[in-house]
Amino acid sequence: ILYCGFYLWKMNNMSPEVALHRISPELRPLLCSVVRNGRVGLDSTNCLRVTDLKTGCTSLTPGPCCDRFKLHIPYAGETLKWDIIFNARYPELPPDFIFGEDAEFLPEPSELPHLVQWDAGDPECLLQLVKELIQQYHQYQCQRLRESSRLLFEYDSLLEDPNYGRNMEIYAGRKNSWVGDRIVLVCPSFISIMSSLSQDTALDPGEDVALLSVSFEDAEATQVFPKLYLSPSIEHALGGSSALHIPAFPSGGCLIDYVPQVCQLLTNKVQYVIQGYHKRREYIAAFLSHFGMGVVEYDAEGFTKLTLLLMWKDFCFLVHVDLPLYFPRDQPTLTFQSVYHFTNSGQLYSQVQKSYPYSPRWDGNEMAKRAKAYFKSFIPQFQEGAFANGKL
Amino acid sequence: MAEPTVRMPGIVLASLMFQHVNSDSDVEGLILGESKLEEQITISDSQADHIQIEEIYNIQKHITCHKLNNFCNGMGEVNLDKLKKILADSKQSVIGWYRQRRNTDQQMTFREKVIHENLKKALSNPHMIFLLLTPSKLTPPGSTHRTEYAAFISHGRQFINVPVLVNNLGLLEQLAYWKVSAACSAAGYSRTMKKHGSVFFNSTGSLKEVNEVSKMYDSLQFELRKACRDVEESERRVETLLADVAALRKRVNEKRGHRMEKDTDAFPPEPKKNMLLHEALEALLSCSPLFQTQTLTLQAFPVPELCCSADSGTDVTTTLLGPEEVSNNDSSRAISRKRLKKVPVRENKKSRKSESQCATLTLGVSVSASQEDTATAVDDD
Repeated sequence: ILYCGFYLWKMNNMSPEVALHRISPELRPLLCSVVRNGRVGLDSTNCLRVTDLKTGCTSLTPGPCCDRFKLHIPYAGETLKWDIIFNARYPELPPDFIFGEDAEFLPEPSELPHLVQWDAGDPECLLQLVKELIQQYHQYQCQRLRESSRLLFEYDSLLEDPNYGRNMEIYAGRKNSWVGDRIVLVCPSFISIMSSLSQDTALDPGEDVALLSVSFEDAEATQVFPKLYLSPSIEHALGGSSALHIPAFPSGGCLIDYVPQVCQLLTNKVQYVIQGYHKRREYIAAFLSHFGMGVVEYDAEGFTKLTLLLMWKDFCFLVHVDLPLYFPRDQPTLTFQSVYHFTNSGQLYSQVQKSYPYSPRWDGNEMAKRAKAYFKSFIPQFQEGAFANGKL
Repeated sequence: MAEPTVRMPGIVLASLMFQHVNSDSDVEGLILGESKLEEQITISDSQADHIQIEEIYNIQKHITCHKLNNFCNGMGEVNLDKLKKILADSKQSVIGWYRQRRNTDQQMTFREKVIHENLKKALSNPHMIFLLLTPSKLTPPGSTHRTEYAAFISHGRQFINVPVLVNNLGLLEQLAYWKVSAACSAAGYSRTMKKHGSVFFNSTGSLKEVNEVSKMYDSLQFELRKACRDVEESERRVETLLADVAALRKRVNEKRGHRMEKDTDAFPPEPKKNMLLHEALEALLSCSPLFQTQTLTLQAFPVPELCCSADSGTDVTTTLLGPEEVSNNDSSRAISRKRLKKVPVRENKKSRKSESQCATLTLGVSVSASQEDTATAVDDD
């Protein structure tokens, strides 16, 4: 159901411009801030979405006069669908809400500051009110957890930990239907880890998020399914979706033990990637130092590529060095390329070398020296091959 | 436990719908009537007596608020003073309130729930109903609209949907529609009808409004038929005209075709004259014997043959005198030209006739060239 929520969001998205074009002009600034800046909750990659724009005016009223719509709010892996009702003829009045299927959710109006002090002239007022309502909704869901002592224990134990307590979203299913239904605890975003990753790499820290979602299929917590959601840039930085596998939830285990374990795994992975970055930088720096003017170009951001133009006994050749993500554990690939010879397909004649003398324990300087020695030993063979198999 | 039911006369429902149709926003107001508990005891030989308690809310009237949030604020807090002011002239008691909102779900909103609870407290009436009407468009073009209605009562924090029975429809079986209204012998009814009936009914007993609408419909039909006839006539005229135009075009094309054939047979195309070529030839070959006529001037120079048209702009004097005489007589010719008006060259037809007059012309001009005073005097005359 979590995956379905994501796919449905992608399929039914109404463009913000379309929504803004159809809404009544007096209400447009309020909706503008919701559709353009509307990121609430832990999942900052998913925006608030507006659909089903309708009007409370008669059909004879010329448009645009829409003043009521459905707002889709990502929360705890679900999507809340709330109706927001304004009145185009009374734009100064605060909006009214229908909270979808959560008919029993009734927040206290006095605990909604932006409803108490509703200001129709403030474009941020509606967005702030929605955020306050989501906070109230979160508390309502936490109240519902009290129906299961086991789940309440899991929640309370995490709540006590300051690392996780402030960044949780609870969804306790529907009233009178959660027996056998799923209960999801979305655990915290790894904010501190993400910021260190983005500082040391060239990643944009803007919309990175990592969410751990734990689904309890029953109130006794005998069927627990954890899932880790990473934003695309983080996933790419860590080496793709297959690079990180979180452990299964241990039978009889607790979230207070499991969540730190996952956090540590992610932290280790990130640290490894950061170290790899530093190592690659060191490697490139060493090659720059050893080969000087022979360097044609190199990747100055991620330090993943380097190209050298070298000459041996009047024979010029290029060497392309590709550093893998898990360098120095994984060996760089060397591609030798002749500047004179072509293959039948019109490409420059080249040979790829993946196994050559190498050790991940060498420092960058040593790797550069060894690479130089290897070039000297391999080039005669490469030259012969170029003359034999390539054409001028 | 009492089972609640809401009963509403059809006229009240129609009045509510009418009010909202004529409003360009959501509307709200108060409901007046009475609520009572009815105990129904079912006596049966086969089973024990069954006692059913029914809580009935009879809606009798509604009071419209002319604007939204008239008796409450944005947070749902009820203003008792405004409420009393609205209820000032009302003799019946408030049993609830209503709201009508277009294109929304049949569910109470957040603020409606808050208002309902606050209204119960303000009026000290734990048994209050909320009537919700939600009109919406049934078809995309808007040709059919639908109004759903429901009533809600609250028990604690829960709001229960209560069935609404419309009196004049809800108590009849589907097969038992009345075709004529039943006679009523009550004296009070007769007095009421006598007093107010003429406002609504004709002498025949039919509704006045219905008659007026029928008349308007007939007028509209008449106008539509007339418009259709006009359009039809106009179309037929256009059709006739188009046919005439097509026939005429055909005849013109045929005639044009015949004429072109005749013209090509009878009259060969008139050759065009190349004036530039003529001038060039004249400039080069004016002294050639081929271009000279048998006519001689007084100085015994042959006269060139004139074959140009009147609009060639050829200077007759220069042409007739010849180039030698032109150079010799520059000064005199200049004077004479000043005095003489330029003689326009005649057209071909006239020139052909006047070929025999060349000698005469030549003589006249030569005399005038050598005897400038005479020419001047002649010209002046």
